[in-house]
Amino acid sequence: MVNELKVDPKLVEEFLNINKNIFEAPKLVRAPDEINMDMTPYDVAYSEDRVRLLHFRPTTERQIKTPLVIVYALINRYHILDIHPQKSWVRNLLNQGVDVYLVDWGTPTNADRYLGFDDYVNGYIDNCVDFVSKETGEEKVSIQGYCTGGTLATVYAALHPNRLRTLTLTAPVIDGQKDTTVVGNLAKHIDVDKLVDTIGNMPPEFMYFVFSVLKPFEQGLEKYVNFFKNIHDNDYVENFIRVEKWLSDTPPIPGELFRQWIKDVYQENLLIQSKMYVGGKQVSLKNINMPLFTQVAVADHLVSPESSMPIHYAVSSEDKSLQIYTTGHVGMIASSFSQKRVLPEFGQWLKERSNK
Amino acid sequence: MQASDSKKAQQYYKHVSLFWTDLLYLMMSKPYALAAAGPMRKFGTNMKKLTTELIDSNDDLVEFNSKLTEYYKQLTDTWAEAQKQFSKKIPEIPNDAEHLEASKRIWIDIFENYFTTLFDSPKFAENFGKLVASELELAKHWNSMISELLDNANLPTKDDINEIYKELHSLKKRIVRIEKDVNHGTVKRNGK
Repeated sequence: MVNELKVDPKLVEEFLNINKNIFEAPKLVRAPDEINMDMTPYDVAYSEDRVRLLHFRPTTERQIKTPLVIVYALINRYHILDIHPQKSWVRNLLNQGVDVYLVDWGTPTNADRYLGFDDYVNGYIDNCVDFVSKETGEEKVSIQGYCTGGTLATVYAALHPNRLRTLTLTAPVIDGQKDTTVVGNLAKHIDVDKLVDTIGNMPPEFMYFVFSVLKPFEQGLEKYVNFFKNIHDNDYVENFIRVEKWLSDTPPIPGELFRQWIKDVYQENLLIQSKMYVGGKQVSLKNINMPLFTQVAVADHLVSPESSMPIHYAVSSEDKSLQIYTTGHVGMIASSFSQKRVLPEFGQWLKERSNK
Repeated sequence: MQASDSKKAQQYYKHVSLFWTDLLYLMMSKPYALAAAGPMRKFGTNMKKLTTELIDSNDDLVEFNSKLTEYYKQLTDTWAEAQKQFSKKIPEIPNDAEHLEASKRIWIDIFENYFTTLFDSPKFAENFGKLVASELELAKHWNSMISELLDNANLPTKDDINEIYKELHSLKKRIVRIEKDVNHGTVKRNGK
């Protein structure tokens, strides 16, 4: 007796097609190492230690005088803000006539393990703002902080409110106890003192682990199957490889900065209570009195909106807006949705509050 | 009961090992003194520290293994639960090419849901925190042993280097402050 295995011929065909695509992939797709991640031209306006302040070249006539300094996150590099010509956060703002500067944190080494919040906020960010202010002749600048960069920008705004014309926070981590993501769950249970005292900097591998548990099946399996299915679609493939390369470039986080970050923001939740101290000064969120624009995403699986939104209610700014977008953490800054919805709103908001 | 027996055996092993290291050191130290200037002198003296470190690391290795086992147990239990749920659903879906995509979507959704619930749970985070902590304890023993060996070879240890990093960090801060004072509160360095 012979067992007959019935398989739909279409299934066999699909299986064979994917196999064919896998073999053809190296001929059709550039290797990640062959891709230059810098898209929009810029000049390095200022540098200090490993930090660089990038000044993007204008693509159109400037419509507002007040420059915008983007404070990028501590996780991964700034390239996600300029990942693809049609999805570039930076390029869109340039096209709207905004003068764009961006803080690139570089890649810290073991020698940077003692860098803390004080160095980042009162040192690097303040020096960048100082430089931009001097170069443009504008007494006050606008700041936009993304993700953990949003937290740094919040602390900066609370300690140096007179330097800022406006503050925009895009998915900032503010109230660690309200964060319902896997990142928040792990951060609350990690022995950060032991980690920093033993290893020094937060190793990138730790972040890779966190990434791997975020959406393990969707991100770990499905997206690669889709990549091979769409191997002949140049735009899809180019975008995929660029995002993958960005994801795999995670610099370490300086030990002391990571220690205070985990303890004060997630474990003891001091920031939202205005009980955090940076450089010997209390970070009082009530000091934030400039126009504030908070942008959160409902499907954010890295920083939950519940963790970001409390900033809107904690500041003393009279002019403040809170926008909730139906997208995710990266979708809010690097997608067709962000080009059509998030960026036009942000550009308009900036224009209405900047020197012309 | 078993744990206390293994603890006793470990203590006994530690005692025997230290006894012989100490005794051999005492017996050997006099003729040993003849080669007092060579690199092996320090090594001979510090050998005991290495042995102690190695024995102590056993405790942490046991802790690490138990947390790692729990970590994999949580993953396999969740996998089994998700698979059970998927198996209940699968007979409802026709087995042909048109429905393959739907089956795959259901599989991903079920597994994603089960695993995200696990990763979001305090029990996972607690065990993960302890797993990392026990791994760091092992790293500490490893660091101590390496430091011992480096010290024997008259090379800087991790602590020595950290001290320099700390000093460097504080010097850089002072320089920036002085530069700002000199330039009347502004920064001038330009990377162009």
